[in-house]
Amino acid sequence: MIEDIKELYQYREMLKNLVKKDLRTRYKGSVLGFLWTFVNPLLQLVVFTIVFSTVMRINIDKFYMFLFVALLPWIFFSTSVQVSAGTIIANKDLVKKIYFPKAVLPLSVVTSGLMNLLFSFVIVFIVLIISKIGITINIIYLPLVIFVEYLITLGISLLVSSLNVYFRDLEHILGVLLMGWFYFTPIIYPVEMIPKSYLKLFFLNPITPIIISFRDILYYGKAPDFVMLGLTLLIGLFTVIFGYNVFKILQKNFAEEI
Amino acid sequence: MNVIEVKDVWKKYRIYHDKGSTLKEKLLFRNRNKYEERWVLKGINLNIQKGQTVGLIGENGSGKSTLLKLISRIIYPNRGEIKVRGKVSSLLELGAGFHPDMTGRENIYTNASIFGLTRKEIDNKLDDIIAFSELEDYIDNPVRIYSSGMYMRLAFSVAINVDADILLIDEILAVGDVSFQKKCFNKIKELKNRGTTIVIVSHNTGSLEKICNKIVWLNKGVIQLKGEPPKIIDNYLQYMKTKEENRIEERHKQTENKKQTEKENNSIGTSTKRWGSQEVEIYNVKMLDLNGNEKHCFSCGDRVTIQIYYKKHKDVENYVFGVGIFNHEGISCYGTNTHIDGMKINNVKHRGVVEFKIKSLLLLPGKYLLDVAVHAEDGRAYDYQRQRYEFEVVSVLKDVGICRLEHEWQIN
Repeated sequence: MIEDIKELYQYREMLKNLVKKDLRTRYKGSVLGFLWTFVNPLLQLVVFTIVFSTVMRINIDKFYMFLFVALLPWIFFSTSVQVSAGTIIANKDLVKKIYFPKAVLPLSVVTSGLMNLLFSFVIVFIVLIISKIGITINIIYLPLVIFVEYLITLGISLLVSSLNVYFRDLEHILGVLLMGWFYFTPIIYPVEMIPKSYLKLFFLNPITPIIISFRDILYYGKAPDFVMLGLTLLIGLFTVIFGYNVFKILQKNFAEEI
Repeated sequence: MNVIEVKDVWKKYRIYHDKGSTLKEKLLFRNRNKYEERWVLKGINLNIQKGQTVGLIGENGSGKSTLLKLISRIIYPNRGEIKVRGKVSSLLELGAGFHPDMTGRENIYTNASIFGLTRKEIDNKLDDIIAFSELEDYIDNPVRIYSSGMYMRLAFSVAINVDADILLIDEILAVGDVSFQKKCFNKIKELKNRGTTIVIVSHNTGSLEKICNKIVWLNKGVIQLKGEPPKIIDNYLQYMKTKEENRIEERHKQTENKKQTEKENNSIGTSTKRWGSQEVEIYNVKMLDLNGNEKHCFSCGDRVTIQIYYKKHKDVENYVFGVGIFNHEGISCYGTNTHIDGMKINNVKHRGVVEFKIKSLLLLPGKYLLDVAVHAEDGRAYDYQRQRYEFEVVSVLKDVGICRLEHEWQIN
C-alpha cells in the first residue's frame, strides 16, 4: 500500500490534469463558463429561498440555509459516486492502451467534486454573512469534516468504479440507491425529527454524522461532535482501505473487460 | 542485474461469442456468456538485463504483443509472475489522452503526465520534446489541425523523451516519413547507448538485427529460441519460409483439384486459356525441385525442372516446345522455345516428357504463371496453354526488381 501511495504521488501531475480538464470542460462552450460553478449553487439557493419562505413554510429559521449547507456536501458525495461508477469505462482508451495507476481515475472524479464543493462554499460564506447567520470561529473544523467526507466518498467511489466494469447495471442501480439514501439522511429534515427508535439505524449511515457536522459548523455555528466525527473518520479510513483493496484486485482485468 | 523477470507466465484470453454484461443479460441469456478460452502465452520464462536491447519476433498471433502488454502492466498474467524494476515507457499506443481541442503544448503536458512525469520534469523536457517533433511552428495550435503524421510525431516525441529505464516498442518504425523514421531509429540507438533497456516487437528483422543484443522468438505462445540475433533470425526466417512453402503447396493442391474438375468439363479449343489444333497434346505440366519433387514454391536461386508431358495424336512436320513465365502483373519475365534455342525436332515419340532445366531460378519473390506450348515452326499452335501452372518464389534477401542478376560488388 505504501508503494502504491508513492506511485500515486508520482502521478500527481496526471491527477491534476484530469481534475483541471474536468473543471474546465464541464461548462465548455457555455457563455458563463467557469462561472457556472458559482451560479449553479446560487440559483439553487434562490429557488429554496422562494419555495421555503413563501409556499412551503417550515418551522425552522432560515430553512433555505439549513437545507443548503447540508445539500452541498450531499451533492458532492452523490455526484462523485455516480460519476465514478462510469469513469473507468469513460476512460477506456487510456486504460486499454497505457499503464498508469488506475486509481487515479476515481481519485480525480472525487477530487474535482471536492473542488466544486469548495467553490460553492464561497457562495455559502457570502450568504451566511448576508443572512446574518454569521460565521463563527468553529469554521476551523470545516476542513476536518470535508476531509472525512472526502475519505468516505473516495472509498465508495473506488468500490463502485471497479465493480461497475464487471457489472454495468450498477451505474443505474446507483441512481435509485442514491435517491433513497438522500431521503434517509437528515438533509431536508433535522435529525430531531427522526423517531428515537430509528435513530440508531440512521447513524449506521456514515453520511449522517457528516451532514450533522456541516450543519453544526455552518448553520448553528457550533463545534461538531468530535467523538462522532472521530468514529466517522475511522469509518472513512476503513472505507478507503477496503475500497482500494477491492479496486486493486479488480483492476487487473480492466483492460480485458472493457 | 535483471530489470525484467518473467517467470513461468501463462496468459489466456476469453473470447466471448456474445457477451452480456448487465444483470438481465447475465441471468436471462446465460448461454450467451459462453466463451472460448485461448492460451496465448504458455509458460514464458525470460530475464532481461539492464541495458539490453531485446527483440521479440514471431508470427502474427504468437503472443509477442501480449507479452509486451504484460511487461507494461496493462494486463496481468493468469499464472506466473512478472517483475519489472524501473520506470517503463511504452510506445505501444501513441498519443494516449490527446485532446484534439488542446494545443500541442498542452497535450505534451497531459500526455507526459500519464507517463507519470511531474510538472517540473515536463518543464525540463519540453524543449527537447518540441525540438524532436519538429513542430515548433504548430506547437501552440490545437492538435485537431495537425496531419496524422504530425500527430504521431508529437506523440512519439513525448513517449521517447520520458527518460524511462525501460522502453517498450511495438512496431515503431512505421511512424512518420522516412527521415523521421531514421531520426527515431537513431534516438533509439542513442537511448540504448545511454543504458536504457529496450524491448522491441517488430517484423522488420533487418532493423532488429542492427540494434538488438538478443532476440526472442515466440511461437504459438512459447519461446522457440532465444539468443544471438543473427542465429535466431536466420532460424526464424528459415522456419517462416518453410511454412510459407507448405501453405502455398496446400493451396495449390486445392486449386489443382478444382481445376481438374473444371478441365474435365472444358473441352479444348473453347477456353481462352488453351487453344490449338491438337495434333500434339500437352496433358500435364510439373515443376520439380532439386530432388525431383513437384512443388509450387521455390526459393530464389533454386534449381528447377519444368516437365511437359505430351501425347501425339497425329504426325506433323516439325515440333517446337516452348515455355513462358509471367509475373502476376502479366509482365513476361522470360520465354523461350526449342526453335529459338536452335533445336530442330522433326519427330517425337507418341508419348513423352520434355524437360526444361533451369540451373538457377533467379526470379525475385512473387507469384508467377507458367505458359507452355507445343506448336509448329511457323507458329501454328498444336496445344497452347496459358497460365497452366502457378508457382511462387520466396527469398530471404530484399533485392528489388523482376529477376536477380548475378553480381558482385567491388569497391575501389
